[in-house]
Amino acid sequence: MKKSTYEKPIISKITTGVPGKFGLSTKQKIIAEIDSIPVAKFVEEFGSPVFVFSEKKIRETYNDAKRAFETRYPKVQFAWSYKTNYLDAVCSIFHDEGAWAEVVSGFEFEKALSLGVNGANILYNGPEKSKQDLMLAIDHNASIHIDHFDELYLLIETTRKMNKKARVAIRINLDAGIYPMWDRFGFNYENGEAWNAINRIMLAENLELIGLHTHIGTYIMTASAYGIAASKLSNLMIATHRKFDYWLKYIDLGGGFASKNTLKGAYMPGSETCPSFDDYAEAISNAIISSEIPHENLPVLFLETGRALIDDAGYLITSVLANKRSTTGRKTLVIDAGVNLLFTSFWYNLGVFPSREVTDFMEDTTIYGPLCMNIDVVREAINFPQIKTGDQLVIERVGAYNVTQWMQFITYRPNVVLIDLEGKTHIIRKKENLETIKKNEFNPKK
Amino acid sequence: MQISEEIKISDNGFVFNSRTGESFSLNPMGLEMIKMIAIDNGFDEIRESILEKYDVDELAFEKDFYEFLAMLKHHQLTQQGNPLDFV
Repeated sequence: MKKSTYEKPIISKITTGVPGKFGLSTKQKIIAEIDSIPVAKFVEEFGSPVFVFSEKKIRETYNDAKRAFETRYPKVQFAWSYKTNYLDAVCSIFHDEGAWAEVVSGFEFEKALSLGVNGANILYNGPEKSKQDLMLAIDHNASIHIDHFDELYLLIETTRKMNKKARVAIRINLDAGIYPMWDRFGFNYENGEAWNAINRIMLAENLELIGLHTHIGTYIMTASAYGIAASKLSNLMIATHRKFDYWLKYIDLGGGFASKNTLKGAYMPGSETCPSFDDYAEAISNAIISSEIPHENLPVLFLETGRALIDDAGYLITSVLANKRSTTGRKTLVIDAGVNLLFTSFWYNLGVFPSREVTDFMEDTTIYGPLCMNIDVVREAINFPQIKTGDQLVIERVGAYNVTQWMQFITYRPNVVLIDLEGKTHIIRKKENLETIKKNEFNPKK
Repeated sequence: MQISEEIKISDNGFVFNSRTGESFSLNPMGLEMIKMIAIDNGFDEIRESILEKYDVDELAFEKDFYEFLAMLKHHQLTQQGNPLDFV
């Protein structure tokens, strides 16, 4: 006789009061496969935990964003934000789709060059550029986005010594009507600092000012803020033309588009509250097109969108190590991936899902990572079904920042796998081992 | 371990504690087990019955069973015996 399906016995206290948003029962979402490959197969082949990226999703999202902007504005160019995810395989997909490179350090600049990106197609941001970095950028004819006056003068000095011209833009911080206002990057618009910088650069012999850049913040949930920023940059472009009879070549609105992840403290899920690419495109395009810039002199619109292009394409498959109860009787899970791999769990309530069918009985649960650290909490509170030890879970929307900001702490960083367009899997970053860690160490006692 | 006299268990998994006014819900497996506990079945009898009927191994059952008992105790649904006697 076939035995019945077993389920862990559960008793939970019924509490009365104002119903929470979990008051209505919903069907638990299951992620059993990624791009038609069963989750269990990834673990079998590549171990657990394992990051999985979908090339199909990357290209789909990129083309969605591109369509949103190109149908509204005549000259659009995306530049892939390396800091969001600089795995070679991922960058190569974006470059293959036509994206330039947006880098923020000498290391990222070198990485872009190593991938065959033409130096003239690199936008060099960031507050830290050494003399050597600047020389590298000048040699490769990159667009150097100047962050502050010290960098401007270092650049003037460097170009004089090299007797070469540098193509530059300035980074501008401005009040786009959102809080917090980011004012740490670049020159301020409202107090005239940016205008002063433009004037100084226009007088410099070896600097060719070709663009204006701003990065108003991150995870911006108000598309209209980009409209304000675009208007202000357009104003500066017009002012530059009036004074110098010269049209700048581009306006760069930076990154900061929200992904569909849910920020901690948000009541509604990000998938329902975040603006779409169309919303952002509408606000930005309208602002530039309706400015005083003549249509024949419209600047190229650069976008350095990172998070919104790659977050959805990344998954982390993890296994349940233990089911526990806290002293208050609360259900807790320990999984084999912690905040060392999920830096974004510090600000997102990441979506964690079972990989196989579960029963409908849900409990408020805390999900801990495997680190021997109290801060290692992947989800503080999630309404979650009963999961057996050893089962696999899938954490979605982890494509941005996690594989660049991850920490090698007490364990090895796992395999990163890419599913190509034909459904084949490739390791794009190999799991670390003892040698990875020790090869750069030197022990004077031995 | 015995279920307190004040505890009423309905057939649809609803549990009421008339002493504290608290109520609880059980999933079907929890209901089946608490009923067996309520009629003084011991660990061995319950294990035998569950293992025969359901697709579960002995260790998984044991772990879940003791966790369930701990939760019953946590919610004060069991008679308080010797504090040194865990089950």
